[in-house]
Amino acid sequence: MTEEPTPGQRVYRHSIAARTAHWLWTLAMLVLVMSGLQIFNAAPYLDASYKTDPQHRILAFDAEMGPNNQPVGTTTIFGHTFVTTHLLGFTADGSGGESPRAFPASITLPAVQDLADGRLWHLFFGWVLLLAIVLYLVAGAIRKDLREVILRPSDVPKLLPMQLYYLRLRPAPPPHGKYNPLQKAAYTLVLFVFIPLIILTGLALSPGADASLPWLTWVFGGRQFARTWHFILMSILIVYFCVHMVLVFMNGPLNNILAMITGWYKLGKNDGVGV
Amino acid sequence: MKRKLFVATIAASTLSACSTDAKNQLTNTFRNQLGLAQKLNQTVIGTRGMARLYRESDINEPFRVNGLPTPTDQRYEDAIRDGYRGYRLPVDGLVERPHTFTLAELRAMPLQTQITRHDCVEGWSVVGKWTGVQLATVVAMAQPKPTARFVVFHCFDKDDSGTEYYESLNLHEAAHPQTLLALDLNNKPLDPDHGAPVRLRIPTQLGYKSAKWVRRIELTDAFPNTLLAKGGYWEDQGYEWYAGI
Repeated sequence: MTEEPTPGQRVYRHSIAARTAHWLWTLAMLVLVMSGLQIFNAAPYLDASYKTDPQHRILAFDAEMGPNNQPVGTTTIFGHTFVTTHLLGFTADGSGGESPRAFPASITLPAVQDLADGRLWHLFFGWVLLLAIVLYLVAGAIRKDLREVILRPSDVPKLLPMQLYYLRLRPAPPPHGKYNPLQKAAYTLVLFVFIPLIILTGLALSPGADASLPWLTWVFGGRQFARTWHFILMSILIVYFCVHMVLVFMNGPLNNILAMITGWYKLGKNDGVGV
Repeated sequence: MKRKLFVATIAASTLSACSTDAKNQLTNTFRNQLGLAQKLNQTVIGTRGMARLYRESDINEPFRVNGLPTPTDQRYEDAIRDGYRGYRLPVDGLVERPHTFTLAELRAMPLQTQITRHDCVEGWSVVGKWTGVQLATVVAMAQPKPTARFVVFHCFDKDDSGTEYYESLNLHEAAHPQTLLALDLNNKPLDPDHGAPVRLRIPTQLGYKSAKWVRRIELTDAFPNTLLAKGGYWEDQGYEWYAGI
């Protein structure tokens, strides 16, 4: 029998494994995004093709000389070019000046252009991300609290009411367990779709993996297409991260952050427990 | 004009990657810790299976040049001048029967043609048609001694500081049926920018492993004792020896 949760009650919400995994993949994703942008800078374009093909270019960053002999940075998305000097295309190079560089030094790892070190970071922290996800899933399966995260068919009818509540068009959220239906949908997508896909697309763009697992590169449309999907998935995860941050800060940041450190969470008015 | 600006930076960044200043950004101890992933990648992915084969219509012509342009080495300039007639390729080191090949000898051997993708570490890829001798055949003719573990490629190339280009494979990678000593690219003998007269072609790994301007093949029991001894010129600049990923 589960006791009825009462607001203000302290509950043990995140296991030590879940907390460790959470902070481990937070670190891993930060390093992977920054070193990934470093690697991207070496070939600052994305093609929807199995090989490099300017005819199927969907995104490109470039630098050129402007009319007043001033360098101009540009971003071209699906053939539409925007001037993005200082932000993208012609940006800070990490040595005090600016250079033709897709992403600026402030968001790449290392800051200066260094493909070799970028790859070292990226290929190491790819394993850290995999380890964190495996830790979370295995511990969650053993402790049986993974059930509380996964979206189930009975949650689907609650997705719209939950959305209406977030939009302030409904006074209260539909009754739910530890996580609300939208949280479950988001966490399920990230854990079982986006992160597996970002690992697989990363593998798929490697010549060694293309030889040993040829179907993998094939399903993503070839090496360059896999690189494009890898970048799109990164963008999706960054959007997810931003929404995650907004919701944490709207819903008691201290309570949420402390819960992810100590495990103990103070239940709010609409919080539930269990599945 | 647009292109030039970017190409210039990539070249500059490649060179800056070579300078010790840039390398001090990370201590080498820490870099070695991060490099532990390389062993894992090599174990998990390794050199298994066959590189994907493409159709004639997929071929890129002209074929983008990877790495550095034509070497300025005097021996190489002499070799170009006489149309590579004086070119010799010794296969020596830990072998029972050292042998020196002429270009004519290599061309008289069974040749393999493959249309495969060249994947650059920078992230671009192009498709080319390569014709050459299987490296395995050349190595087998020299009969490696039981102690031999690596195949080292010494090249004509030198960088601005005079460091000679070299590269290495283990015997397993060298024995891969698609690992070639390439002589032709897209139905023509290799030109100087693409590594004439003989370059390594290993389609299961990134482009920097496919050493250009090979002038000597040496079998060793350890990584070549050159400079930082990381097993290759780019490896000495911080890139992984295992380049399957």
